[in-house]
Amino acid sequence: MADAVKENERRPLFVARQARPTAATAGPVILFTAGGSRFAIEASEVQEIRDGDERTANRKLKGTESIDFALRVGLGEGILERYVVLKPGDCSLGVTEVERMAALPRVVPLPGLFRGAERQWYRGLLLLENEVVPLVRTQYWRRAAEPAAG
Amino acid sequence: MSDTTRFVTFPLGEQRYALDSSQVKELVMPSRVYSFPHTMHALEGVLVRRGTVIPVCDLRPAFGHVAERSFYVVAQCNYGGRQEMVAIPVSGDCQLVQGERSQSTEEVTFFAGLLRTGGKTVPLLDLDQVVAHCMQSATGLAGEAKG
Repeated sequence: MADAVKENERRPLFVARQARPTAATAGPVILFTAGGSRFAIEASEVQEIRDGDERTANRKLKGTESIDFALRVGLGEGILERYVVLKPGDCSLGVTEVERMAALPRVVPLPGLFRGAERQWYRGLLLLENEVVPLVRTQYWRRAAEPAAG
Repeated sequence: MSDTTRFVTFPLGEQRYALDSSQVKELVMPSRVYSFPHTMHALEGVLVRRGTVIPVCDLRPAFGHVAERSFYVVAQCNYGGRQEMVAIPVSGDCQLVQGERSQSTEEVTFFAGLLRTGGKTVPLLDLDQVVAHCMQSATGLAGEAKG
């Protein structure tokens, strides 16, 4: 009898259908705004977040080059109040506001009809509650900061 | 040469058009179009349908201003050698009809032939051509604006 009970405990109550292959989950992300739009960046790629004044004071000491994120994605010159410093610390994204973190959002690839620079800018799109937010591709933005560093 | 099959008809402004029903994946009620910064000026944004993100194509370069947006027709098209899903805004009710496809006697841009249904003739849309035209027009306009 006890064996039968143990056997039942091992059996799953139901077997879920295989998940749709289109969506995956990202690690925790940091949501920020730039040029009036919302974006996300993986928290594991961020070294620190500085406010504008702090960054100006430390810029030369740290050798951090910054990118006006809004300007680079075509939203016009941004109001740079925060700097999202990417690991390992030599490049930062100038943004307007850092809002909050989101845990394990679903990320889907950009649809194939998007064939321009956005494929470099973004790793995919996050499906949050009532919102679709581009997830920035940090490797690209690190490279984008390189010419300015030279 | 003609064949009989099912088609979805819908209006774009004053004129009614048709697509082969095998190409149409679903009809979507007007819903939120999510936009984000990108460089493809023919794409207004995306719709989210059951966890899938579908780009919405602005058809104005091909058909001019489409007054009112009643539904989105989500269909498959071939763009640049790849099968892609696209949502096109349409301006009235959509119907599933049976009809007979026939070739047009003259070659008309954006049309893949004619559909004869219920005593009417409806142009069959060449969605691949329409999407390609809209995407290229928008790219050209963006280039001119930058230049």
